Amino acid sequence: MNENILKNLAWNAGNYMKFETERPQTWCTGCGNFGIQNALKRALVLEGFDQKNVLFCFDVGCSGNGADKIEGYSLHGLHGRVISLAAGAALANENIKVISFGGDGATFSEGPGHLIHAVRSNYPMIFVHHNNENFGLTTGQASSLTKKGAKMNASPDGVFLDPINTMDFVLGLKPSFVARGFSGDIDYLTELFRKALRHDGFAYLEVLQSCPTYNRDTPEHWYADRVKHIEDAKNYDSSDIWQARKLVEDLNDEIYTGVIFEDKSKMNFLRAIPNRKNTKTVLKDEVKRYGISEFL
Amino acid sequence: MKRLRIKIVGQSGMGLLSVGEMFIDAFNELGLFVYSDREYPSLIKGGHSCFTINISDERIFSLSEFADVMIAIDSVSLSAYFDFLVEGGILVHGMEKPLSIKRILEKAVDKNVKVIHLNAREVSKESGGSVLMQNTVLVGMAWKVLGLDIAGIEMSLRKRFAEKANVIETNLKCLNAGYDRVDSANLGSNFVKKLSDKKIEKKFLIDGNKAIALGAINCGVRAYFSYPMSPSSTVLTYLADISEKTGMIIKQAEDEITAAQMALGAMYMGTRALVATSGGGYDLMTETISLAGIMESPIVVVIGQRPGPATGLPTWTMQGDLNLAVFSSHGEFPRVVLAVSDSIDAFYLIQHAFNFAEKFQVPVIVLSEKTICEGKINVGTYDENAVEIERGLVAADELVNVKREDRYALTESGVSKRWLCGESEVYHITNGDEHFVDGAVTEEADEVEKIYSKRMRKIETIKKSLPKPEIFGTQKEAEISFVGWGSSKNVMRDVIENCLEKGMKVNYLHYSFVWPIDEESLKDFFKNNKNVHLIEENYLGQFGNLAENCGIKFDGRLLKFNGRSFFVEDVMNYIDKNLQK
Repeated sequence: MNENILKNLAWNAGNYMKFETERPQTWCTGCGNFGIQNALKRALVLEGFDQKNVLFCFDVGCSGNGADKIEGYSLHGLHGRVISLAAGAALANENIKVISFGGDGATFSEGPGHLIHAVRSNYPMIFVHHNNENFGLTTGQASSLTKKGAKMNASPDGVFLDPINTMDFVLGLKPSFVARGFSGDIDYLTELFRKALRHDGFAYLEVLQSCPTYNRDTPEHWYADRVKHIEDAKNYDSSDIWQARKLVEDLNDEIYTGVIFEDKSKMNFLRAIPNRKNTKTVLKDEVKRYGISEFL
Repeated sequence: MKRLRIKIVGQSGMGLLSVGEMFIDAFNELGLFVYSDREYPSLIKGGHSCFTINISDERIFSLSEFADVMIAIDSVSLSAYFDFLVEGGILVHGMEKPLSIKRILEKAVDKNVKVIHLNAREVSKESGGSVLMQNTVLVGMAWKVLGLDIAGIEMSLRKRFAEKANVIETNLKCLNAGYDRVDSANLGSNFVKKLSDKKIEKKFLIDGNKAIALGAINCGVRAYFSYPMSPSSTVLTYLADISEKTGMIIKQAEDEITAAQMALGAMYMGTRALVATSGGGYDLMTETISLAGIMESPIVVVIGQRPGPATGLPTWTMQGDLNLAVFSSHGEFPRVVLAVSDSIDAFYLIQHAFNFAEKFQVPVIVLSEKTICEGKINVGTYDENAVEIERGLVAADELVNVKREDRYALTESGVSKRWLCGESEVYHITNGDEHFVDGAVTEEADEVEKIYSKRMRKIETIKKSLPKPEIFGTQKEAEISFVGWGSSKNVMRDVIENCLEKGMKVNYLHYSFVWPIDEESLKDFFKNNKNVHLIEENYLGQFGNLAENCGIKFDGRLLKFNGRSFFVEDVMNYIDKNLQK
C-alpha cells in the first residue's frame, strides 16, 4: 500500500472506526471474511463513504453473518436472493451505494438466475462473491466450486464433479465490470473495492478466501502461492473479453486477480431504461399523489 | 331490473374480443350499464370462447348464465354454447354453409329461437371487404337486431380502427351492409327510449386489473415488478404501455422470486412498489413474504386468482387462494389480506393496501379473481383523493431524535419507528435472522420472546384499525342472508335487487378486509339475521371455515368451484331451496 493511501487512511481513522463494531466476532480464526471486511472498510473511507450513503445487503451463510459486523444500514435477507433484494433497493435510491455479499451457495446454487439477470440488467450496485469453495455455515459440504476429488461433509468419496469456473460464467454474460481478489491480499483488495465503488453499473467482485475450518484442499498458503496481479500479465487489455476469458481458464496454477474485464460503454439500468432518460429524481422521493384522469 | 343478455361465441383468435369490445364500447356511449366478462381456453388459436355482455338501464353487477341474443362466429363454439340461449331468443350467425349447424338449427326451431342469418363472407366480399371483415358484417346484423341506431356502433368501429385508417371505410361498408339487410327485431330500443330522457354521465369501461394499476399510480407507486402470469399479466402490459407518461420503473423480472425480492428492496429503500401474480407465482414469493414479516418491512402483492392446483384452469376464475394468502410462508407473523370485488373498489383498496403495509410494517396480500381482473364495468369517475397516503415514517423534524433501539422498540402496539436508509446517521439493521431492538442478531431466550411478542401484538392493533365490513340489502328481517368476499358481492347485489322485486328480503355481509377477520361485525350480523349462509367460490369454504372459528355457524354453504363465477341464477336457485318455510 503506498504511503499516500496510508496517510489518507490515518487522517480518516475516525471515519474508519465508525464502521468498526464492538459486537463479538463469530467467524473462525483465520477466516477470509475478516480480510474482506477490512478491505471494504478501507475502500469506503478512501472513497468518501459514510453511514448515510451506503447500504450493505447480506445473503445467508458465513458471509451473511457479517450483517451486524460492520456498522451501517444493512439488510440481511434470504439464501440465494440477496442480489434481487439489493437490486430493488438500488433502483429506488441511486444516491445510496448498495453493496451486496453472498457465498458459493447463494451465487452458484440457489441464485444463479438472479446473477444472470443482474449482470444483464446492469443494476447500479456491487456484488461480492465470497468464494471459499464450500458451504461453511452448514459445516463444510461441497459447493459447486469445490475442487474435484476433495473429501467434504456429505461427499465421503470425494467430489466427483468438475467445479464451475465462476469468472468464465460471468464473463459469458456481457458484464460491465468483473474483478477478482484474494482475502489475504488486503491492500490489493482495497484497491479493487475502490474501483468497484467507482463503477457505474453492476460490479461483480469475486474474492478467493480461505476457510480454515472446512477447506483443507486450498488453504491460505495455497492461494498465496498462486495468486498473481493482473498488472503483471504481459500486454493485458481489460477491455478485451477474449483475453479475459483466456486468462481465467486457469484455476490451479496462475490465478490472476485484479479488474479482469471492464466495459465502460454499457449504461446502468437507470440510464438505459427509456422512460427515465431525463429523470433527475429517485423513486424514493417520488411517492406522492398522481392524477389518473388522463388514463381513463 | 331488466337486463339484456348477449353472448358472442367463437374460437380464440377469430376476433371475438375485438367484436365484444366494439359492442360494449357502443353500449357505454349510449349510457347503458354494462357488465362484461369473457371465457376462453388457455391457448392462442382454436377452442371455443365466449364474450358475455349484460346491459341494463340500471347499474348491474354480475352476469346471467343465459343469453337473449347469441352471436355465433363459428359452429364449434355455437354447439358448445347454444343451450345457454333462452327459449324464444335470437341467434345471429353468418355461416356460409348453414348445413354444418343443421342440428342446432333444428333445436332452434324447437326452442322457438328466431334465426337471423346472412352469408357474412359473401356480404363482406360484395362490400369490398376481406374474409376477416365478415365479423364486421355480423356486428352490423346484431346491432340491427337490437333495434339500435347505426350511428352508435359506427362510432365504436371508428374508434377501434382509429390507427388503421385504410380499413375503416371498407369496415363501415361491411357494417352497414349487415345492418341494412336485416329486418329489425327491436330488442334494445326499450332501454334506449328510457335513456333518452336521462342526462348521460360520462363513464369509462374498466377492468379490475386496470383499476388496480390506476389506484397504484394514484397513491404514489413508482415501480412495478412482475413475471407474466394469467390473469394478472395485463397489469404489467398496461403499466408498461403508459410508463412513458408515468415515469414508473416497470421491470419484467426473471421470475416471481425476483419480483417479490425487488419490490421488498425497493419498499425498504422508501419508494412504493407493486407486485401482481397468480397463485402459482405467489407460491414462489412466500419466502419473501416471510422475510418481510420478520424484517417488518412493507410489501404489497396482488394475487389474481384462478383455479389450481398447479396450472389448473389458467384462464378461469375462482376464490381458491384465500388460505394461501392467510397461511402462506414459514413462521408466524402478522399480515393483512384484502379482497377486491370490482373495478370500483379495486382502485381504493389497493391504496389501503399500501397504507396498511407501511403503517403497520407488514406484508399485505390483495386478492383479485380472474373474473374481476378481466371483467369490464362502467366506472364514473374515481375520487382521486379519497384515500390519504399514509407512510408511517418518522417525520423529518423528528429524525434527529431517533435512537438505534427505536427501530424495533418493544411498543405496546407492536409498531415501532421506521425511518429510511440514509435519512439519519442513526442506522439500523434490517435482519432476516431473529434480532433485538436495534436489529442485531440475537438467540437469547428472553430477547427472542420479547421481540417475537412485540411483532405479534400488531395483529390486535391491526384488528382495531380495520374498516367495518359492508352490509348490502334490507338489513331488517331478511328471509335469508349471506356472508362472502371478493366477486360474491357483485352477484349478491343483483340478487338482492331481483329478490326485492319479488318482495323477498335478502341481506349480504361483505368482507373487503378478509384477514384478520373483524369478528364483532360477523357476530353482530349473525345476531341480527336468521338463516345466514356462506357464498364462496371454492370447495372447502375457506372463508367460511375461518369465520366459523369465530364461534358462528352457517346455516348452509353455497359453493362453486368449476372455474365459472356465480351467475344470478346460481344464487336464485339456492335461495329457492333454502328459504325457511
